[in-house]
Amino acid sequence: MKGWDWSSFLEYLVSFYLLEGVWVTIWLTAASLLIGLVCGLIAALLRMSKSPILQMPARLYTWVWRGTPLLVQLIILYTGLPQIGIKLSVVQCSLIGLGVNEGAYLSEIIRAGIMSVDRGQFNAARALGMNYRVMMRRIILPQASRIIVPDLGNRFNGLLKFSSLASVISLEELMRRAQMLTQVKFAVLEIFIVASIYYLALTTIWGVAQAHIEEYFERGYSQKNSRRTKTLARTE
Amino acid sequence: MRRTLVCILVAVVVVSQAALVCAQTKGTPLVSSPPLLRPGKLIMAINATIPPVQYIDDKGNLRGMRVELGDEIARRLNLEANWVNIQFEAMIPGLQGSRWDMINTGLFYTEERAKIMSLVPYELQAISVSVPKGNPHKVKSTEDMAGKVVAVEVAGYEERNIKAINQEQVARGLRPMDIRTFNTFADCYQALKAGQVEAVVSVDATGKYYQDRGDFERAIFGLKGSPASLAFKSRELAETVAKILNDMKQDGFYDKLFDRWGVAKIYGWEKWTGSFKIH
Repeated sequence: MKGWDWSSFLEYLVSFYLLEGVWVTIWLTAASLLIGLVCGLIAALLRMSKSPILQMPARLYTWVWRGTPLLVQLIILYTGLPQIGIKLSVVQCSLIGLGVNEGAYLSEIIRAGIMSVDRGQFNAARALGMNYRVMMRRIILPQASRIIVPDLGNRFNGLLKFSSLASVISLEELMRRAQMLTQVKFAVLEIFIVASIYYLALTTIWGVAQAHIEEYFERGYSQKNSRRTKTLARTE
Repeated sequence: MRRTLVCILVAVVVVSQAALVCAQTKGTPLVSSPPLLRPGKLIMAINATIPPVQYIDDKGNLRGMRVELGDEIARRLNLEANWVNIQFEAMIPGLQGSRWDMINTGLFYTEERAKIMSLVPYELQAISVSVPKGNPHKVKSTEDMAGKVVAVEVAGYEERNIKAINQEQVARGLRPMDIRTFNTFADCYQALKAGQVEAVVSVDATGKYYQDRGDFERAIFGLKGSPASLAFKSRELAETVAKILNDMKQDGFYDKLFDRWGVAKIYGWEKWTGSFKIH
């Protein structure tokens, strides 16, 4: 039995080689989420349109991309597509794979958020003469965001860890860097505990950020600190 | 009537038990547990992604020279061969963690590995570079690989050595290679086939196999040669298997097996003493 080696653990905890992998994980996740948001928003809006012709591509997109594993999608992008003449780089495959896959899930989350906004808001906006674009941008989506953000935060948390799948197509993010380090001393437990600590740190930092974003969208809803409640309290 | 039935029942039980005992005594394991992890079984880890030495055929069966070698070792020890097909980087930690008795994946012999496991060298191997058919980039030496995208399996001997060669070349002023690591050699070759990489760094036997089959060309071979070894956690088991290898050499099985698969025998190694042992 080898036992736990504290000096190896501490050495890997501050390893620049691993930290480079952490940075790749961060930008990969952030960029993929942005791509996912764009894809998801477009798909959600298409899905909610009255025309079945517009709905079709959105339904097809969510059906296929939620119905097949992310790993298979990445392998098809990187190793399969070149067979029919489409050759994308490792970074392109990782971003497209993670982003488009995430978009399929986000489209459902966004759709749920929009549906949660009171019908009256849509009617009032129309009554005020707003067109579709203005109504969505100024009235509906800001209110829908309150419902979307918690689930979106959940997805971002998951994406931070799913990004490790990109290692299968040779992207050197945190997981792959950890694998590569194991061959030096075979301190497998120490290295992967360090990697886990980094993942935990990232998801924790995101958790704090998410809490602040949720608080921002909660303005105007919470009874406790709303201006209306304070005014009422003063006059009583 | 009842007495007859009882007699017949007893006879059946006795005969079947006798048959079982006969079967067991005919093949009593020559190694007990411990040092084996499970009695009567020889658990071997392999990464069956590099034909011809170890691969999965199109019917899903484990095939290859090393598979035959492992099966024969188990047979001669009256043990049941249990194969664990797993990626390379999990093997050494798995051996140390007592998940398998032996690593039979052509583990390259190195001094550091010999310090943490019992290694019995048995095959001559070296690093090869495979390129697309026709060698479009005219790769003849590692210098020609400068600036190219190269695939290699993660956390192995080949990765370490190609990175060392790359570093040494960069120090001399050549352009660096873009070394991409994949989980297995199969993934590397798929990337080569897809044109995502320009070369794959693997082992001589595999490079030659793909060249003979016409898939890829073997542009370079014979780099950083070192014997492939069987690896054990238990020294006792290693010595037992070394003895079996010596028996195989004696009765000609070893020579015939290697000739049939076209793999280089250990005899050419400069440290070969004439018999298989732990180095």
